[in-house]
Amino acid sequence: MQMKRRNFIKFLVGGVAGIQLTPLPWKFTDDVAIWTQNWPWVPVPPVGAVTKEKTVCSLCRGACGIEVRKIDNRAVKIEGRSDYPVNPGGICPLGMGGLQLLYNESIRFTSPMKRVGPRGSGVFMDISWDEALDILSGRISKLRKKGHPEALAAIDGNPNESTMALMVERLLKAVGSPNYVSMPSVGDTCSMVNYLQQGTGEMMAYDLENADCILSFGSGLLEGWGSPGRVLNAWGLWHDAHAKEKAVIIQVEARASNTASKADFWITPKPGTEAALALGIAHVLIKDRLCNVSFIENYCFGYHDWKSLDGQEHKGFKSMVLDEYSPQQVAGITGLQADKIKSLAHEFGKAKAPIAICGKGKGSLNGSLYEFMAIQSLNALVGNINKPGGVLVHEAMPLSDLQKLKNDQISLRGLKKQRLDQAGTSKYPFTNSLINNFLDAILKRHQSPVDTLLVFKANPVFTLPDTTACYKALKKIPFIVSFSPFKDETALMADLILPDHTYLEKMDDLVCPPGLQYPFYGLTKSVVDPVYNTENTGDAIIRLAKKIGGSVAESFQWPEYEDVLKTRASGLYSNGKGLVGYDASHPVWKMQKAGNRAAPDYSTFEEMWEAIKTGGFWFTAKHNYQNYSSIFKTPSKKFEFFSLRIKSAIDIAAKQKPLKKVLKDLGVAKNADEACMPHYSKDESSQDSTEYPLFMMPYEMINLASEWAPNPPFSNKTLLDNQLRNDESFTDINPQTAKANDLKQGDRVIIKSLAGRIKVRVNITEGAMPGIVYLPLGFGHTAYDEFLKGKGVNPNDIITTNRDPVSGQIVWWNTAVKLIKV
Amino acid sequence: MDSPILPEGVKRCSLTTFLILLLPCFALLAWGGLSAVLCLWKGLNQTNMSNVFAFALWIVFDLAVIALGAGAFFTGFLTYIIDRKELKNIINAAVIIGFICYSGAMAMLGIDIGQPIRGWFIYWHANIHSMLVEVSFCIGCYLIVLIIEFVPIIFENRKLNEIKPIRLIGHNLHEIMAVFAATGAFLSFFHQGSLGGMFGVLYGRPFAAREGFYIWPWTFFLFILSAIACGPCFTILCTKLTEFISGKKLVPDNAIQTLAKISGWLLSFYIVLKIIDTLGWIYGVVPRAGMTFMDFYREGPYGVWLVVCEILICGVIPAVMLMIPRIRQNGTWLVVAGILNCTGIVINRFVFIVVTLAIPVMPFDRFWSYVPTWQEWGIGLAVLGYGVLVYALSYRYLPVFPKEKELNIIT
Amino acid sequence: MKKDHGHVGKKYGMVIDLDKCTGCGTCMTACAAENNVSVRKDESDKERSITWIQLYQISNGKKFPDTRYSYFPRPCMHCDEDGRGGHHPSCVSVCVASATKLDPHTGIVSQIYTRCIGCRYCQAACPFDARYFNWWDAYFPKEKGLERYLSPDVSPRMRGVIEKCSFCHHRLMRAKNQAYAEGRREIEEHEYITACTEACPVQAITFGDLNNPKHKVHELIQLPTAFRLLERLNTKPKVYYLSTKDWVRRLADNYRPGEFKRLSKGS
Ligand SMILES: Nc1nc2c(c(=O)[nH]1)N[C@H]1C(S)=C(S)[C@@H](COP(=O)(O)OP(=O)(O)OC[C@H]3O[C@@H](n4cnc5c(=O)[nH]c(N)nc54)[C@H](O)[C@@H]3O)O[C@H]1N2
Ligand SMILES: Nc1nc2c(c(=O)[nH]1)N[C@H]1C(S)=C(S)[C@@H](COP(=O)(O)OP(=O)(O)OC[C@H]3O[C@@H](n4cnc5c(=O)[nH]c(N)nc54)[C@H](O)[C@@H]3O)O[C@H]1N2
Ligand code: SF4
Ligand code: SF4
Ligand code: SF4
Ligand code: SF4
Ligand code: SF4
Ligand SMILES: [Mo]
Repeated sequence: MQMKRRNFIKFLVGGVAGIQLTPLPWKFTDDVAIWTQNWPWVPVPPVGAVTKEKTVCSLCRGACGIEVRKIDNRAVKIEGRSDYPVNPGGICPLGMGGLQLLYNESIRFTSPMKRVGPRGSGVFMDISWDEALDILSGRISKLRKKGHPEALAAIDGNPNESTMALMVERLLKAVGSPNYVSMPSVGDTCSMVNYLQQGTGEMMAYDLENADCILSFGSGLLEGWGSPGRVLNAWGLWHDAHAKEKAVIIQVEARASNTASKADFWITPKPGTEAALALGIAHVLIKDRLCNVSFIENYCFGYHDWKSLDGQEHKGFKSMVLDEYSPQQVAGITGLQADKIKSLAHEFGKAKAPIAICGKGKGSLNGSLYEFMAIQSLNALVGNINKPGGVLVHEAMPLSDLQKLKNDQISLRGLKKQRLDQAGTSKYPFTNSLINNFLDAILKRHQSPVDTLLVFKANPVFTLPDTTACYKALKKIPFIVSFSPFKDETALMADLILPDHTYLEKMDDLVCPPGLQYPFYGLTKSVVDPVYNTENTGDAIIRLAKKIGGSVAESFQWPEYEDVLKTRASGLYSNGKGLVGYDASHPVWKMQKAGNRAAPDYSTFEEMWEAIKTGGFWFTAKHNYQNYSSIFKTPSKKFEFFSLRIKSAIDIAAKQKPLKKVLKDLGVAKNADEACMPHYSKDESSQDSTEYPLFMMPYEMINLASEWAPNPPFSNKTLLDNQLRNDESFTDINPQTAKANDLKQGDRVIIKSLAGRIKVRVNITEGAMPGIVYLPLGFGHTAYDEFLKGKGVNPNDIITTNRDPVSGQIVWWNTAVKLIKV
Repeated sequence: MDSPILPEGVKRCSLTTFLILLLPCFALLAWGGLSAVLCLWKGLNQTNMSNVFAFALWIVFDLAVIALGAGAFFTGFLTYIIDRKELKNIINAAVIIGFICYSGAMAMLGIDIGQPIRGWFIYWHANIHSMLVEVSFCIGCYLIVLIIEFVPIIFENRKLNEIKPIRLIGHNLHEIMAVFAATGAFLSFFHQGSLGGMFGVLYGRPFAAREGFYIWPWTFFLFILSAIACGPCFTILCTKLTEFISGKKLVPDNAIQTLAKISGWLLSFYIVLKIIDTLGWIYGVVPRAGMTFMDFYREGPYGVWLVVCEILICGVIPAVMLMIPRIRQNGTWLVVAGILNCTGIVINRFVFIVVTLAIPVMPFDRFWSYVPTWQEWGIGLAVLGYGVLVYALSYRYLPVFPKEKELNIIT
Repeated sequence: MKKDHGHVGKKYGMVIDLDKCTGCGTCMTACAAENNVSVRKDESDKERSITWIQLYQISNGKKFPDTRYSYFPRPCMHCDEDGRGGHHPSCVSVCVASATKLDPHTGIVSQIYTRCIGCRYCQAACPFDARYFNWWDAYFPKEKGLERYLSPDVSPRMRGVIEKCSFCHHRLMRAKNQAYAEGRREIEEHEYITACTEACPVQAITFGDLNNPKHKVHELIQLPTAFRLLERLNTKPKVYYLSTKDWVRRLADNYRPGEFKRLSKGS
């Protein structure tokens, strides 16, 4: 048949119609629908063998037990462990998002690298581990040859008690540099207070679970204070719907934080006057006989006026407090009502087991020494020290020291040089490290005294108050080496990258999570094979030392980092009272209170070590309560309201210079006696209050990472849209402040201080104190990827810092600012 | 140029003028086409719809257009079932408008669902409890009916009509049109109702929920009534517009007046019920939900003015106007009443969709606002462009108005 | 006790203690991690970000320093009814493609992503805003390698479909399989708990079978402080809340003046 046009059309129409009668169209639509269910760009997670690995989270110092669910060698979920003493089951949002940090390639260094682009551009080139270590060891050897080992410096964010901190400090010492600077932390102030008032430089050990009244001076119990997994669990216990007696929580804070909102009482003194409030409470406790007289009389020093051996009369705590801190006087300072101070003191004094806790937290790297002393004095006044439900006093963790260091002549000469930060000198007699002094020293000199800076687990360019100063100082340093696994702001300024494993890929220890009331040792392990070409920094240091050779190599004789960890852990074994097993139905706080007498559940060191490696913990629940005659290691062998150590530091310095100058150097505004006691003195801010009429207070949130690592993207879901909207973060201000500055909800505003200016949007809330401008910490990254970079502003950029008396640490919490409407 | 295919004995502008006049339509279609491609390819993130505004501009367009398109089935019902002969002069226009409205709505719905390729699941995995399933079935079937009703009109094109089989089919279809009209009316009654039911059964949304007053979701009947009250008016408005643009009289007055009168009666009936319904809602549903009437009109741009506008200005007033023969017979007033009538129903559909979703039910939730993107406007307006185009083409090439020749003798 | 339609046996439910809840957001993170919810660059667009369990911040509305905030975690309520005695939750009865169902044996309201056509009618029907539409494709850019942490227990969703809290249904499946493998017919209370329950660091969430007197939830919902969200809408949620605070309880539902009954004299 000839194919004419008409026939063709007929054929076509017929065909199309015919096909409708076949299953073809059905099949086709079905296939297309199935295709939408398996779009090739929708990932299909592969199935595989399911395993679970137990380890410890070390994204903060909290040390929560976690279990990682794996499919073959892929980690797919992090869960809290209920068989872990610290956190019975729950974890924080940061820890929950850990896998997003492990697997996010765009925020991690995948190999050792050296800088090829301009500094700060983040342009690096992959190199081998050998080459990287050669570059660094070559540089260090050269410094040593030139006789300037002290030009090597380190900024270390590892907790002071950790083995990694010892390793880094040891490396510097072996090379011959005194310039080991650790990142400040709230623990610095706590241990200084303990050193001065109790004689041991240990961390605070709060028996929160057994307490019935918590008086918190700004501590973000719900914002990530202490060991968050543990503190939050305690919160749950305090608030159990079935609990017979619920603990009373009193929050002293200038912002309706989660803790303040959820507390039973919320007290709002003017920020910076907490010490006065504590002393005002002390006044009422003393006056209304709510003190533990027998404890004070028998085991405390400096409560009453006293006479020293040289015959001089000294004022005691009691008369100072009675003279200067009556509720009326304190009301004047704090802006609270005198009645409120009284009732607060009664609430605290009448409780069976009240604890006053300190740690005005994040954003503050440290606290104020006198404020913390005042708070700890409250615990002493009610005698709730070393008792169940009180503040416990521990000996140092029974960890062994590392073998003695080998020092050659070069290093001995280098170690004699003065530290750049002047820590430990008569100006700062009790302080180990002062990072801001260190940076100032670099900025002040024409040429940087530091040639090579090693950065471990710290991101000072982002986290230090006054980041601009830090950035400028770092820019002056000729060579920076970062050991960070992540492409953080400081690492981007580095010349050489020696990337560490992340916490899920390596073995490391976690000693004494902050605030925990019993000695605890945690150990992380590698739950997945390292994803990239990274190396445990512990091992990298050992290899580096070997490459440097000589006495440096001799100081690092261990084959690998695990051997270092074992060396230290051997002390846990010889101590003879630990446990490596844990039964969740007997929480440690109950065991400890009941007077646990269980013998160690291991018989050899190897057995103990293997158990720690699998279980991830060692702890001891044995505690010697009360024995006050032996626990205080102060010069008076008592709890000191009046610190004899401060007194002797003043006395020694006063031999060289006039007393007035000594006090001025220490930053004390009062007389020599009060300098030894907790006291309040008005912050003499030099800034013009008409130019900068408001104060800016940074604050932290539990769902926004501050320390350690970047925020896992998951947490972005948990932020409210009056905290972050698009890429802009918000400042919380009171409606009154808003009105005074003619601002409406959502307006854009510039916050200006002497240190700089940042632009944010306004969130008007009654949760803010009038006159204060609040900014959350954790936003404003300039590094990392689109989940973090450029989101919001970093308040550290505009913080103007002062020096805290005696400790010399940074006072960061009241930056005078003004608002400029955009 | 296209004169051989123009209807016989009528005057049409030149093809060039015609095309130029249609340029805006093509522009709208191009805009809509681009929007559609973006939405289908990249997904609904191209819109400003959200988890709060699950339904938005497109659904407003859909519901409005379907209500306005009700002229088709209702005129069909009156013409073929009630046998109002005079309406034969306007039925073609009504059918075409209906076809445009329904097909436009369907197209828009196809883009509005997140997985258009799975659209047929509605039929395959139908959930008999869902009002939207009822709507989909009815609209799907009714669209087929509309096509069947439209086809004979197309076949009446001068050139097509010359082909014998086509002429035969067309003629036979005409013969049985009553059957389809009946089917269409039946289907339409249901889906107009189900569209109302869709919102009436949102028991969790006190703004829309309507149970407990008279009968199960009362909105079912209100939607039918409101659709048939405004549909004929919309048909009248379209005809009037065509007459205005072409400068010719196309439909005899008696047809228009019949529709207007019926529209008036229905609107009056509807508006009385709507007022009762509103009172029932205020004193029944609203307090039961723990709210007060004003809770719904406090937020954002939605104030009581909406109620006044919908019920009083665009309800009671046109109803009265259409009921009074003197006003209804005045061309200008008729158009004013028609516009008010249609506007009122569109406002009704708008509030049912947007306000329902915008008013937070959880006391601690907050009010959100919504502004459509250009893509959403593009698709919405493309339906308008498509409608005008199809209508214009039909008018130009088909004997839409049987009396056109008679009323406009070419001298 | 009133008989519940359709429930032959189990009725899984959740009790959230609002006095305990600290607003930390771990439940949200845990849920996203457990259920392969993807994260987009901008999660601050709360109208479009996907959070199966959503934390609402509520305030007592008082002036400084009497202001208090509290937090309302809101998963899917797994309603039993539509509010007018209909035997399906509002979202289920409206679904055009039977893509969401109430399981009469567990009380869990499921969501079948591969069946959903994305019409969003269910979203309009749910008064709790518990349903989330995938406005975008799941975001797992190749260069990041984030897809490596995805769990095979829950399939990642395609663009254009609705998703919502499933009470971690796959965990029930896992527990049942385990029990079956061990020759048991019943699972223990602790064997099936949801990811958010497990993660909450203050143990504010309790999960279990509301019908089983041996389960803790059964006991908790009898407390005088127990209540549900929008209770008067009568959708019979299986998520209960506890709070001793009147201002919090008051914000859980719409009350006309004089209707609210205080629990305590204080606030
Ligand atoms: N999720 C998460 N948890 C963490 C961390 C993390 O990064 N993420 N980091 C850990 C680390 S390093 C630390 S140091 C801890 C810190 O944890 P926190 O000590 O809880 O620190 P912040 O959250 O900043 O809480 C301090 C509170 O003090 C208030 N405040 C600020 N200035 C003043 C003042 O002058 N007076 C008073 N009374 N209050 C004031 C602030 O409003 C803020 O709410 O958290 C640890 N936990
Ligand atoms: N903007 C802002 N500033 C703050 C705070 C804040 O919340 N926000 N908080 C303040 C407080 S409380 C503190 S304690 C300080 C903390 O200040 P930093 O100690 O500087 O804390 P991080 O920013 O967490 O810096 C730690 C860096 O270590 C790297 N790192 C992570 N894991 C490892 C590892 O296993 N090995 C090595 N070698 N490196 C690792 C990460 O890249 C991370 O950037 O910041 C203070 N300043
Ligand atoms: S609290 Fe700290 S240790 Fe615990 S999960 Fe969170 S980040 Fe990890
Ligand atoms: S995890 Fe627990 S405490 Fe945190 S927000 Fe969720 S329910 Fe509240
Ligand atoms: S909360 Fe919403 S989504 Fe969940 S069952 Fe109820 S109506 Fe459905
Ligand atoms: S969006 Fe999906 S689940 Fe919701 S009603 Fe439509 S088809 Fe059903
Ligand atoms: S029950 Fe499971 S799915 Fe539902 S909110 Fe909790 S974690 Fe998410
Ligand atoms: Mo810190």
